[in-house]
Amino acid sequence: MKIVVTGATGYVGTRLVDIGGARGHVFVAASRRAPINHAIFWIPFDISVANHIKLPSDTDVVVHLAANIAHTNCLEEECEVDAAKKIINSAKEMGAKFIFVSSQTARADAPTAYGRTKWRIEQEVLLAGGWVVRPGQVYGGKLRGLFGMLVKIVQRLPLLPAFVPAPKVQPIHVDDLAEGLLRIAERGDVLSGVYCLAAPEPVSFSRFLGEIAKSRLRCLRGFVPVPVVVINALAQALGPSLRTRLGLERLRSLFDLPAMATATDLKQLGITLRPLRSGMHPSGNHRRRGLFQEGLALFTYVLKEPTGSAVLRRYVRVIESLRSGRPLGLPHAIMKYPILMSLIDEAVWADKSAGTEFSWRLDAVTVLAEATPSGASRFLGMGREHGVLSSLLSMANAVVWEVCWRILRTILLPLTRLALAHTRGAE
Amino acid sequence: MIPEFDVIIVGSGPAGVSVAFPLVEVGLRVLMVDGGKQPGVLPPEADFLSARTNDSEQWKWIIGENFHALKMGDTVSPKLRVPAHAYVFEGFEARNQVIGENFISVGSLATGGLSNAWGCGVASFSSSEMTAFPFPASELSISYAKISKRIGISGAVADDMSDYFGLDEYSQPPIPMDELHKRLSQQYSNRREKLNSQGFKLGRSRVAALSEDMSDRLACNLSGNCLWGCRRRSMYSATDDLPNLRKHENFSELSGFIVDGLTRHDGHWSAEGQTTFDGERRSITASKIVLAAGTLATTRIALKTLNHRHAVPLLSCPTAAFLLWLPRLLGSPRMHGFGLGQLSFSMALNNNITAFGSTFATTGIPISEFVRHVPMSRRYGIDLLRGLLSSCVVGNFFLPGHLTAAEARLKEDGSLVVSGSYKHEVKPLMDEASRKLRKAYWALGAMLLPGSFTVGRPGSDIHYAGTLPMRKMPAIGETSQLGEVSGLDEVYVVDGACLPVLPEKSHTLTIMANADRIGKLIAMKLHGDRYK
Repeated sequence: MKIVVTGATGYVGTRLVDIGGARGHVFVAASRRAPINHAIFWIPFDISVANHIKLPSDTDVVVHLAANIAHTNCLEEECEVDAAKKIINSAKEMGAKFIFVSSQTARADAPTAYGRTKWRIEQEVLLAGGWVVRPGQVYGGKLRGLFGMLVKIVQRLPLLPAFVPAPKVQPIHVDDLAEGLLRIAERGDVLSGVYCLAAPEPVSFSRFLGEIAKSRLRCLRGFVPVPVVVINALAQALGPSLRTRLGLERLRSLFDLPAMATATDLKQLGITLRPLRSGMHPSGNHRRRGLFQEGLALFTYVLKEPTGSAVLRRYVRVIESLRSGRPLGLPHAIMKYPILMSLIDEAVWADKSAGTEFSWRLDAVTVLAEATPSGASRFLGMGREHGVLSSLLSMANAVVWEVCWRILRTILLPLTRLALAHTRGAE
Repeated sequence: MIPEFDVIIVGSGPAGVSVAFPLVEVGLRVLMVDGGKQPGVLPPEADFLSARTNDSEQWKWIIGENFHALKMGDTVSPKLRVPAHAYVFEGFEARNQVIGENFISVGSLATGGLSNAWGCGVASFSSSEMTAFPFPASELSISYAKISKRIGISGAVADDMSDYFGLDEYSQPPIPMDELHKRLSQQYSNRREKLNSQGFKLGRSRVAALSEDMSDRLACNLSGNCLWGCRRRSMYSATDDLPNLRKHENFSELSGFIVDGLTRHDGHWSAEGQTTFDGERRSITASKIVLAAGTLATTRIALKTLNHRHAVPLLSCPTAAFLLWLPRLLGSPRMHGFGLGQLSFSMALNNNITAFGSTFATTGIPISEFVRHVPMSRRYGIDLLRGLLSSCVVGNFFLPGHLTAAEARLKEDGSLVVSGSYKHEVKPLMDEASRKLRKAYWALGAMLLPGSFTVGRPGSDIHYAGTLPMRKMPAIGETSQLGEVSGLDEVYVVDGACLPVLPEKSHTLTIMANADRIGKLIAMKLHGDRYK
């Protein structure tokens, strides 16, 4: 499909173009400046100038992401709505689908100009038979937008504010949002209307910040309770321009977020949002994190001790470059107590390909584990005492444990089979 | 039109360099072309055990930065998993259009060929083994002497294998054995007669590795990096001969030129192919072409030029590997040592078949290679091997090459398909061998670990030969005693392809000696012409 995107170089726009491009869609960026990615086409468009936009004749979809976030001039509210009207009309003339990315704050009586503008544009879109998407708190990926600002704040402040009463956010990973937009664009059976894409269960803002600290930045942060009234009073005192400059305006819009019912819309589009913890991980998905955990379990099993991060990263690279890049999905019990891998042998796998993949990965871990200085000790016995007695003892030890595990394996076979039944193989 | 060169030698491996010397020494204009692949990863400088204990980057030369060892997990030999040797093997089948059907077909596009990653085993063929050759064995003796002295071989000691190898005259003393092999050797001297009567003989391995310095190559210092690459250049590789060839002005090289065909114009030959560095097709003219690209590649070029679509026979030695445990030496510490063959045996089997093999230390071989075969869960398998392996030696085993029924055939699209399987006799012979080996080594105080005698897949010897055999009266698809291809005047074959027999012995030295003999004869012929 040919998709014209305004705001293609923004936080959501870049991911939309990346993910959609990989799917084979052709994108045309409508923005002030030509994007760095010369692979996509460009037509000039500036939302603050409201010029008439000339869409390519074979445009299928227009996704309107661009927003004026400067908030410095109320008059610009009119400009923004006018610009949106013009582009909505162009799309309608073309017979192209129009998807407007709005905001959770969009309300006729929103406290911020931002929220009110979004609402007005929404009405124009719906009037013209277009689609409106209200995303929740967008996070993940590169540090941009409000998310980027929050990460930088968490990084800088040793103590974070725990607002009282805690405002709630409904996060959605930027890639999941992009996926949602693409599905609306691609599918013919999604009716025109407002779609709320965000986590169905709201999460406290403090938890959100805490997750940034823990999973994204891997740092410890303490919280200091800050009553919301204080912030509001401060905002009042500082006046409008200082308010927006310090970002207080955005903060206040957080306190005012209306909860969105998103479960139905997500289900209709067939989207399952990734969990917050996985999404916050720098790689953005549970896959890599899962691979790290899987690697740690496998190495601990083979080496009898946890291994360093350099070797784990190598394991992840191996699986990403030579195999499916997906974790096997071993049961939690095994991941937590790697010694339980002794219960696994060929007989136990219901899905043969999962068994083969497990064996391949175990072989790879053995090779990777050996090629390290600690591997020299574990495999070759370097730095350990030698002699007939110690060799006999370690061999006898190994045989005895092997026999015990074999017995356990036979007894627990049905249980292990059940536990592993859900493990996927190489797809 | 005068051809650009007198001789083009296709291939810079042991056969190529050995035929080059006599040709270059009489002043002929010689061009040597090869696949041009060069080493990438360097093997460690420190000895193996120190490198393993201290080097945190060891994964780069053990596994490879692009995880070469893991990509090659399925291949037959640990050598194919060594990152420093990746360049030796890669691209061969694709670039030379060789396809193995249930047959391991390995070759090299590297400068120096497979000798960059070989086991260095050397031997001379006996007169009885040479009866099938179209010239007397004596014609090869001078060449054996010359090549042995040039490449440097070691292992000379008066023992029960001296006659079998027949090279002690030209050889340096042996590289010292490790404790395990010393014990085996001692036990052998106490029980020689009994074992000889069973048809089992044991002696030092003769190898193309230096025990004494030779020009700028250093003697083996037992660092144990043999599998990974020898920085001291104690192990011979044909690349060691190139500097001496380059001293001659009449010697030229074009590296990275892969020949895929020969055409004849105006009374001389044109070698056609593609240069890898720019993808250009070229053709180079010469009066004579010498094919030394390795049995498979040479066969394809010759058959293609002849347009011979019938299958030609291929000789390949059935192989096996086994693990021996010396209980008396259980608990030995890991020590530095030579990583290639230390002791070799010959064994008489039914039907007058002789088998050959050598035993090696296990230190330099990754334990992961062994752990896969231990019938225990991984964690305990490692514990077991850690205790056990330092008192074990690994052995390999070869049967004569006529026992594989294999053939190579040129297809319409110009590719060479190699296929084959072991003859029926092989299984009973392998069974007999494993019984006899178990018995013989038991007398030496070593136990052949149960289940460890593993027969290799057809073609895993990587010793192919005999597709274009030398005959007194060669038919189409065979070569004369000068290696000249019947039907292709002035095209000569000097690598494994022209050997009429492939016994169980290491054959590289014989290929080199034969290449030297042919080179001399060609030189004499042309030299003689010049004086007319």
